[in-house]
Amino acid sequence: MALERASLELGEGELVAVVGENGAGKTSLMNVLYGLYQPDQGEIRIGGERVRLKSPKEALARGIGMVHQHFMLVPNLTVAENVVLGHEPRRFGLLDFQRACAQVEETCRRFGFRLDPRALVQDLSVGSQQKVEIVKALHRGARILILDEPTAVLTPQESDELFGVARELARAGHTVVFISHKLREVLSVAERIIVMRRGRTVAEVKAAGTSPEQLAELMVGGKLPEAIAAREPVSPQAPAVLELREVSAGGAHGKNALSGVSLTVRQGEIVGIAGVDGNGQSELAEVLTGLRAASGGQLFLEGQPLIGTPGDRRGRGLTHIPEDRLRRAIISPMTVEENMALGRQHAAPFAHGPWIDQEGRRERTARLLKDYDVRPQDPLARMGGLSGGNQQKVVVARELDPAPKVIVVVQPTRGLDIGAVAQVHRRLIAERARGAAVLLISLDLDEVLALADRVYVLFGGRIAGELVRAQFDERRIGRMMLGAPEAPPEIAAHG
Amino acid sequence: MASSSPWKRLTGLGASATPSVLAVGASLLICFLAIALTKNDFTVAVEAYAKMFWGGIGDWPGWAEGAPFTALSRPWGEAATKGGILLLTGLSVSVAFAVGLFNIGAQGQMLVGALSAAVVGAAFQLPALLHLPLCLLAAGVAGGLYAWLPAYLKLGRGVHEVISTIMLNWVAVSLVENWLVVGPLRAEAEGSHSRSGTEEILATAQLPRLLGEASRLHLGLVIALLAALGVWLWLTRTRFGFETRAVGLGPEAARASGIPVQRRTYQAMVLAGSLAGLAGALLVLGTEYKFPATLGAPYGFDGIAISLIGLNHPLGVTLSALLFGVLRAGGTHMQLLGVHKSFPELIQGLALLFIAGRVAWEAYRVRRRKITPLPPPGEAASDAPAVGV
Repeated sequence: MALERASLELGEGELVAVVGENGAGKTSLMNVLYGLYQPDQGEIRIGGERVRLKSPKEALARGIGMVHQHFMLVPNLTVAENVVLGHEPRRFGLLDFQRACAQVEETCRRFGFRLDPRALVQDLSVGSQQKVEIVKALHRGARILILDEPTAVLTPQESDELFGVARELARAGHTVVFISHKLREVLSVAERIIVMRRGRTVAEVKAAGTSPEQLAELMVGGKLPEAIAAREPVSPQAPAVLELREVSAGGAHGKNALSGVSLTVRQGEIVGIAGVDGNGQSELAEVLTGLRAASGGQLFLEGQPLIGTPGDRRGRGLTHIPEDRLRRAIISPMTVEENMALGRQHAAPFAHGPWIDQEGRRERTARLLKDYDVRPQDPLARMGGLSGGNQQKVVVARELDPAPKVIVVVQPTRGLDIGAVAQVHRRLIAERARGAAVLLISLDLDEVLALADRVYVLFGGRIAGELVRAQFDERRIGRMMLGAPEAPPEIAAHG
Repeated sequence: MASSSPWKRLTGLGASATPSVLAVGASLLICFLAIALTKNDFTVAVEAYAKMFWGGIGDWPGWAEGAPFTALSRPWGEAATKGGILLLTGLSVSVAFAVGLFNIGAQGQMLVGALSAAVVGAAFQLPALLHLPLCLLAAGVAGGLYAWLPAYLKLGRGVHEVISTIMLNWVAVSLVENWLVVGPLRAEAEGSHSRSGTEEILATAQLPRLLGEASRLHLGLVIALLAALGVWLWLTRTRFGFETRAVGLGPEAARASGIPVQRRTYQAMVLAGSLAGLAGALLVLGTEYKFPATLGAPYGFDGIAISLIGLNHPLGVTLSALLFGVLRAGGTHMQLLGVHKSFPELIQGLALLFIAGRVAWEAYRVRRRKITPLPPPGEAASDAPAVGV
C-alpha cells in the first residue's frame, strides 16, 4: 500500500506544503486527490460534500488542478494550443487559433502571468513551461492547485518567481499545495506544512517557528544522519587528473551542445558543474565516458589522451554514475549481483577467464550490499524491485568499488531520500579524500555547493564562469546559469 | 536472504513456469472439447487423446500386453525427430531474444542450412566420422551467415529485424525451393525416371539411428539436446552470455558499462542462425536424406511458439519442444478417428495465444496500478535512517 489512513485538509486561499521523503506517499496522496488513483478506503470531501473522483477530468470539474513534476506539454505546439488542449474553441470543426490565443491571453492577464500564447513550448525555458502548466490548470478553472516538486528543475531566481506566483494565487483565494522535499523553500513559502512518512500523514506544523532540522527529523522519523564534515582545501600542487581542452560536441538539431569547454579536475578534488537543465551537462558526461564523440578539442586522463570506447575508458580508471539510472546504470530485470557485475563482468572477482565467477560475484555483492546498507541485502533480488534509493546505492557501490581515478557523477541523488542522499554525499567526500578526481554534474545547486571544491557554470554549452569554494555565492551562480553577462570572475588563488 | 535458498529458487522457477503450464493445459482442454463437440461424442475425444499421447510417448499399455519393443521405439523415433528439430528452431528464436532481437527468420535460415547439408552430404566421399560433422558444420555456417544479414541490416542500416527476417524467409524460399532445388541442384533423372529434390546424401552423411532400423530415433536428438545444454551454459555461465543478456535487457546500460553491444548482437544472431541451420540439417540428414521438392513443415515458424511457451529459457524451450514433438508425433494417429493430424499444431497455436494474451494483460495491469508499494514492515521497525520506497 502506498497510503495508509492519510488525512489532509485544505482551506481556501491557503498555501500548504506536503513534505516527506521519496516514497512517503506525497505524490500518491495527490494523485488520489487528482482522480488518478482510487482510494481503497476513506473519502474526499469538497466544500463538505462527499465526492468520488474517478478521473482527472472529474477532479478538474471540481476545481482541482495538478502540475506534474514532469510536464505534460506538447513541445511542438504553441502555448495557446497547449493550454486549450482538450476543450479547444472550434470553428468549422477546427481549432480557432485566434480565439484560443485571446482566451489564453485573458487568463494570463487575470492571474498576472507574462506568456506569449503564440510561442512554441519547445522554445520556452523550463520556468516558463511550468508557468504554461499552471496557466493550463487555472484556465480550466482550478481552484485548488497542486504543484508536484515544482522547483526541482528551476534556478533559484525562477524558484523565487514561482513562489511569488503562488503567493499571488493564494491571495486571490486559490488553494496552492506544494509537494516538495526541499525543506528550506517549503518553510519560506508555505504557511502550513503537512509531513508524510510511510504512507501516513504523521505531523502538521506551522511554518513560522519551525526549523529545517525539526522538519527533517519529522520526515525521517528520528535523528538526522550526520552532516558533511569540514575538510581541507585541495592543495594547489595536486596534479590534474582529468583535463579537457576546448572540447566541442554535437547535440540534437545539429546545434553544438558543447562549444570549447576547457576544464581540469585535480587529484582529490570535487569539481561541480552547475547549470540549468539542457545546457550541455548530459553531453559533457557522455563525451567524457565515451558514449558520445567529441567533435573538437582534446581530453586527457593523467596527461594521456582519453579516447576509445566506454569499456576502454573504464579500463583506465574512469567510472560513471549516470544521470538516467533506469536506462543507463541498471538493468531492471537482472538480479542485484548481475547489476553489480556490470562494467567489471570480465575481471576478478566477477569472472574467471570466460566463466562467470559465481562465488566471487556473490561474495563481493554481499559485502557491498552490507557496506552500503542496501535493502534488501539479497544478491539475488531483482534489481527492478528495489526502491530508487537502493538502486542508486547499488550503482554508487559498483562505480566506487574499483577505486577509480576519475568519477563522472551526474545527478547522483535525484529522487533519493535524506538518508540515501547523505550516504551518497559521504561516499563522494570519501573518494575525494582517497585522491579520486570527482566531476559532479548536478542540477541541484545546493548539492553542488555543498560538495564541490570548485564550480564551473555551464550555459549554452560553454563555461560561463568558474568559482572556487571561497567565492561560492548562490545569487551570482544563479545569474551565470541564466547566461547573464558578467565581468569575467576573478579567480582567487585556489583554496 | 530468503530468496537465495534452494527451495525458494525452486518455487520461484515453478512460479515463472506456471503461466506456460496453464497455457498448454488450457489449450489441451479446449482442443479436447472441440473434438468432443464436433464429433458429438465424448468417447471419440478421449480415444483421440489417448492415441495422441501413446502415439507420442510409446504404446506402453500395448507393450505391457506383450507387443514388441517397436511399439515403444517407433513412437519415440517420431517424437524425437520432430522434437529435435523444434528444439533447435526454438533455441534459435530464444538466442535471438536473449540479445533483444525477434528472429522471425528461423525458417529461412533452416532452409539454407538444410540445402547446405544436402549438398555437402551428396557431394563428398568421406568417412562418416568426417562427413557427418562436415555436413552439420556446413548447415550451421550457412544458417549463421544467413542470419548475419539481418543483424548487419539492423546495426548498420537501422532496418528492423522483424521486417528483414520475414523478407529473407521469402528470399530463401525463392532461392532454395523455387530455383536451386528444381534447377541447378536437382537430382539427375535415372533413365526415364525423373526425381524430385536434390541428390540423395551418402550413407556416411546420415545421422545414425540409435534404436535399430524400426525406429527413426537418431543422433539428431542428442545433437539438439547438446545444443540446448551449450546455449544454457553460454547464457548463464559465461561472461559472454551475461553480456549478451545485458545487451538484450538493457542496451543503453550495457553500452555504458563498456560491453561491445554490436559484437554481442552479431554473435547472438549468427548463433541463432546456426541453430536454425542445424535444424535443417537434422531434417535432411536424419529423415529426408535429401532436400525434398518442398521442405513441408514450417519448423522455423514453430520455433517462435516453442521459444515463447518455453519462456525463452533453454530448459523451458527443451521441455516445450519435447512436449510438442510428442504431441505432433501422436497427432498423426488421431487421423484414424477422423481427427485432423494438425490438431497438435492447433494446441501449440492456442498456447502461444494464451501466453501472448497474458503479456498483454500484464502490460494493462501495470498501466492501471502505478502506486508504488511500501517496504515490508520489517524495515519500518528499524531505527536506521529511512531508506527509500
